[in-house]
Amino acid sequence: MYRTATKRLLLLRAPSGSNINIKARLRFPFLLPHHQNIDNNTCRFSSTSEIPQSSPHQTFNPNPNQHSTSTSTAEEARPQETQRKRRYVEYEDEQARVLQASLPHVVRLGWTEAAMIAGARAVGVSPSIIGSFPRKEAALVEFFMDDCLQRLIDRIDSGEELKSTIPSDHISTLIRFRLQMQVPYISKWPQALSIQAQPLNVPTSFKQRAMLVDEIWHAVGDEASDIDWYVKRTVLGGIYSTTEIYMLTDSSPDFRDTWSFLNGRVKDAFDLKKTIQEAQYLAEAVGAGMGSSLQGFVKRAFGG
Amino acid sequence: MALRMATRRLGSKLLPRFSSTSVLHSHATSFGFKEIPEEEKSRMVGNVFSNVASNYDLMNDLMSAGLHRLWKDRLVSKLNPFPGMKHLDVAGGTGDVAFRILETLNSVKSRATQDSLDDNLHEETQIFVCDINPKMLNVGQKRALERGLGEDKSLIWVEGDAEALNYKDNSMDGYTIAFGIRNVTHIEKVLAEAYRVLKRGGRFLCLELSHVEVPVFKELYDYYSFSIIPAVGEVVAGDRDSYQYLVESIRRFPSQDTFASMIAAAGFQKVEYENLVGGVVAIHSGLKI
Repeated sequence: MYRTATKRLLLLRAPSGSNINIKARLRFPFLLPHHQNIDNNTCRFSSTSEIPQSSPHQTFNPNPNQHSTSTSTAEEARPQETQRKRRYVEYEDEQARVLQASLPHVVRLGWTEAAMIAGARAVGVSPSIIGSFPRKEAALVEFFMDDCLQRLIDRIDSGEELKSTIPSDHISTLIRFRLQMQVPYISKWPQALSIQAQPLNVPTSFKQRAMLVDEIWHAVGDEASDIDWYVKRTVLGGIYSTTEIYMLTDSSPDFRDTWSFLNGRVKDAFDLKKTIQEAQYLAEAVGAGMGSSLQGFVKRAFGG
Repeated sequence: MALRMATRRLGSKLLPRFSSTSVLHSHATSFGFKEIPEEEKSRMVGNVFSNVASNYDLMNDLMSAGLHRLWKDRLVSKLNPFPGMKHLDVAGGTGDVAFRILETLNSVKSRATQDSLDDNLHEETQIFVCDINPKMLNVGQKRALERGLGEDKSLIWVEGDAEALNYKDNSMDGYTIAFGIRNVTHIEKVLAEAYRVLKRGGRFLCLELSHVEVPVFKELYDYYSFSIIPAVGEVVAGDRDSYQYLVESIRRFPSQDTFASMIAAAGFQKVEYENLVGGVVAIHSGLKI
C-alpha cells in the first residue's frame, strides 16, 4: 500500500518539483499525523490541534503578477493552485532542508539538537525552527531513515541487473546496500537506535522498519497476501535488525564479518522455509493417506 | 489528499469567524465588556497595569493557584531556546518568561560540553524584555537583581509598544508574548509586527488565557472568574475593577481557533495551539518561513 502511495506521489511531483520537494512530500505525510497523536496522548489535560494554512489570503502572495493578465480561465487557475500547494508545504521543505544540512554534523555532534542547530545555521534559517519539531532528535533520525529508504527505492527502481539473481542473494544485497548507508554514522548509530527505542518514538521507528522490509520483499517480487506475508516480514525484520546490531561491534575491514553474518542468516531463513515446506508436504501426504484409509474403512463398515 | 481536503474545509470554516473579529477591531474596541473608542483602550489598560504592578506576582499565584509558573515553563519548553539566540519577550515586564529562558540556556550550556563554540555563542544571547508599562518593567528589574541576574548582559529591558516595535526586520529568533496580547488594541498589528521582526525559521509563541469548552468545568470556571477573582482582587490588591477587567477581557478575547486563524493570516505557518487545563490557557505557536 505504501509503495503504491509512494509511486503515486512520485509521479505527481516528478514533472514539476525539485528533488527535495519530492522527499518532503514523501516524508511528512507519514510522520505528521503521528506526532499529533502522541501529543494528544502525553497529558490528559492538554490537547494540540494543528491549524493548516488558510490559503486564500492573497495579501501575502509573493508574486501578485500571476493574477493579472491571462485570457484563458483554465490557464489562470493553474498557477494559483500550484502556488497554494507550494505555500502549504513550504515549512516542511524548510524543515527538510534543515534536517538534510544537519546530517553532516551528526558524525561530530551525534543525533542531537546541537547538530540540528549547526544544520539550521548552515542553511541560514534561525535555529528556532528546531522548536517546531515535536520530537527533536527523533525527527533527525526519522529523516535519515526516510532518506535511506528513498535511496533504496531509487536503487531498486534503477537496478535492473538485480532482477535476475536468486531471491536469497537479492535480499542480502539489498539489506547490505541499505546498511552501508549507515556506515558513515556507525560510531553514532547506537545513539540513533536508543532514540528510536524511546517509547514516544517506537511507533514511527517500527513503521519505518516495516516499510523498509516491505520494500525489500516487493523488490524481490513477492506479492503474497496470505499468512505468509506476516511470517516473511517478521523473519526479514529480524534478520535486518540483528545484522544492524552485529554491525555496531564489527571491526573487520569493510564490515566483512557483518556481510558474511548477513548471508548466513538469510540462508538460514530460506533453509527454514524449505524445512517448513517439506514438513507441510509430509503432513499433507500423511493426512491424505489417513483420509483415504478412513474412507475405505467407512465404506466397508457401512457396506457401500 | 485527505489532509489537503481537511485543510480546505477548516480554512473555509475559520474564515468567516476571522472576518467577524476584524469587524470587532475596526473602530470601537472592547475594554472588558465595555465598548470604548480605540484611542482610550491603551490608556485604560495602562492604568490597570499601573494599579496592579505591585501585587502582580502575588495575585497571579493566588488566582491560578501557582499554575501560571507551570504554564510559563511549558511555554519556554515549547520555545526550545538555544545559545546565541536573539529573543524578544513582549509584555513581559515582570521578566517571568525571560528568566526562564535564561535558566534553560544556562542548563543547556552546562550540559553541552562537546561544542566549544557554545561558549562564544552564549555571550551573544540577547533577551529583550519589552513592555509598554514602565512600572511593570521596574518590577522585573527589581526581581532580576534579587535573582542575581542584574549584571547579566543578556537581559535588555526596553519600554516599547507591541504594535510598533523598535527593531529591524528579520532580527529575532524568537518572539513570546505571555498574558499580553489580550490587552492590546489591535491584535492584527501586533501579529504583523511579530512577523516582521522574526527571522526566517523564527517562532512566535503566545501564552494567553483562553476559552474553556469542557461542559461542567466551564460553569465552575465562570463562577470562579466572575465571583471569586474580583473579590480576591479587592481584598488582596484593594482593586476590584482591575480584576473585573481581567476576567471580562478573557471572555472578549478570540477563541482558540479564531486566534489561530488570525496568526495564520499574519503569514505564519505551522500554526498550532495547545490547551492547558482544558482551555483556561492556550499556547499558540507559529513558524515564520
